[in-house]
Amino acid sequence: MGYVAVKGGTIAIEESIKRLKYERLKKGVVLDIGRIEAGLRGLIDQVMSESSLYDETLAALAIKHAEGNLEEAVFLLRAYRSTLPRKHYSQIVNTKDMSIERRISASFKDIPGGQILGATTDYTHRLLDFDLMEETDEDAVNWLSAYEKEMLDEVDEKHFGKLPKVSDYLRKEGLFSECVMDNTEPDDVTRKSLTFPSTRSQRLQVLTRGQTGAVTSLAYAVIRGYGSLHPTVGELRVGYLPVYIDSPFHSFNREDDAYYIGEIKATEVEMLIPETVEIGDGKKEIKFEIGYGLCFGQNETKAIAMGILDNSLEKGNRDYPTGDEEFVLYHIDSVESTGFISHLKLPHYVTFQSKLDIVRKSKSKQEM
Amino acid sequence: MERRRRTEILINGNKNVAATLAQQILAKYEVKTIEKPNNGLVMVKVRETAKNSLFYLGEVFVTECKVEISGYIGFGILKGHEPELAYHLAVVDAAYNAQLPETERWNEVLLKEEAAIHEQRKNSFMKILKTKVNFETMDV
Repeated sequence: MGYVAVKGGTIAIEESIKRLKYERLKKGVVLDIGRIEAGLRGLIDQVMSESSLYDETLAALAIKHAEGNLEEAVFLLRAYRSTLPRKHYSQIVNTKDMSIERRISASFKDIPGGQILGATTDYTHRLLDFDLMEETDEDAVNWLSAYEKEMLDEVDEKHFGKLPKVSDYLRKEGLFSECVMDNTEPDDVTRKSLTFPSTRSQRLQVLTRGQTGAVTSLAYAVIRGYGSLHPTVGELRVGYLPVYIDSPFHSFNREDDAYYIGEIKATEVEMLIPETVEIGDGKKEIKFEIGYGLCFGQNETKAIAMGILDNSLEKGNRDYPTGDEEFVLYHIDSVESTGFISHLKLPHYVTFQSKLDIVRKSKSKQEM
Repeated sequence: MERRRRTEILINGNKNVAATLAQQILAKYEVKTIEKPNNGLVMVKVRETAKNSLFYLGEVFVTECKVEISGYIGFGILKGHEPELAYHLAVVDAAYNAQLPETERWNEVLLKEEAAIHEQRKNSFMKILKTKVNFETMDV
């Protein structure tokens, strides 16, 4: 069989797209963007993190457009992002400036500033709340009004939402090695493709924009035995980070000349990983290393998993797939993995026919 | 007031503050729009705390705008799609850059708004602090 170029399908594709719209609208009810933003916080945070684009409204629009299909919403946002100019780079954001909404440690009970649970499902019963079937906007307003009236204790103005890092406290005790400030300009995987061996900035960027499920599964594999880490959450914090840019009109900028652009919600995790180190004369001692996770939104499982994989890749033990940076970093991106897998359903007639031809030829040779 | 502080107040506070200040300038001076409010991205550079190195966290969707008053450029930029506020921020910025006399009277308004933001954030944090764990040691 020779090569046959075909065309066609335009009308079928147009009708298919119409059918897609029908599926979204067939119940005669339209999702309001404001309602998606108000009620689907978890999904919005996940979409922003995986698409590496921070904007709640755009994420809500992508979720509506994709009918809640996460991989499609991320694809839509990544595609939209590629149409926008990158106009500025922020000043270095320091997570010590985070306005805390939640901050806990699984390693230390007594941490400076205390354990602040914030909003978490960690201690909820996972019993489906059927009352929500009848919940109205009025119920929400009434609940909020009652919540606002609850009595409050006075707060120490000194802290006011900014709390010291647990690791700083431990560094003072000598449990961690001090790290000098590394001001090497980061690499950017969106501008220059990932190469191996990768740099730390490339690894962290790929991990933070990785698909939540993929990052979590690989980190789980590290702990289950396909890795050699036994981590604990040293600190997990969720809150808002202020973002500033330098004045675009001056080459030298004083700190006070910066433009504030707003705050972004983020989750930061420092995983504590014990490591046995030689200290000479055949003696050994246990020191702690930090695995680092930081991502847009409140994405706690992903940030913890990122911290585990960060340390696993830093060690780079190739006895395990999770220590192989090529294995991990090439397979956790949502658009790359779902894009490749789903492209398999697109026409491969020529490729498949050529394989079929080879099979037929070898069969006919065998028969002769 | 320095730019860092005043942009924090104008963005975190009530949008009407920026609108009111900008209106005072628009009513009296010729304000030329150099770049209409338009969308773009700001790449966020962060310092991680395991090795103290830098990496890119992702991009923030922003609106920015540029105006000119008497040869002085004003720049307005903020997170999200906020064309009106971006324009007002640019007008206020140009007014400060041109050292217009109106700006001398703005400190009072800005400080008042800053106090309101502070109070609102304090209340919000006090609510959060109600989730602080009070450990009790058990006798075993």
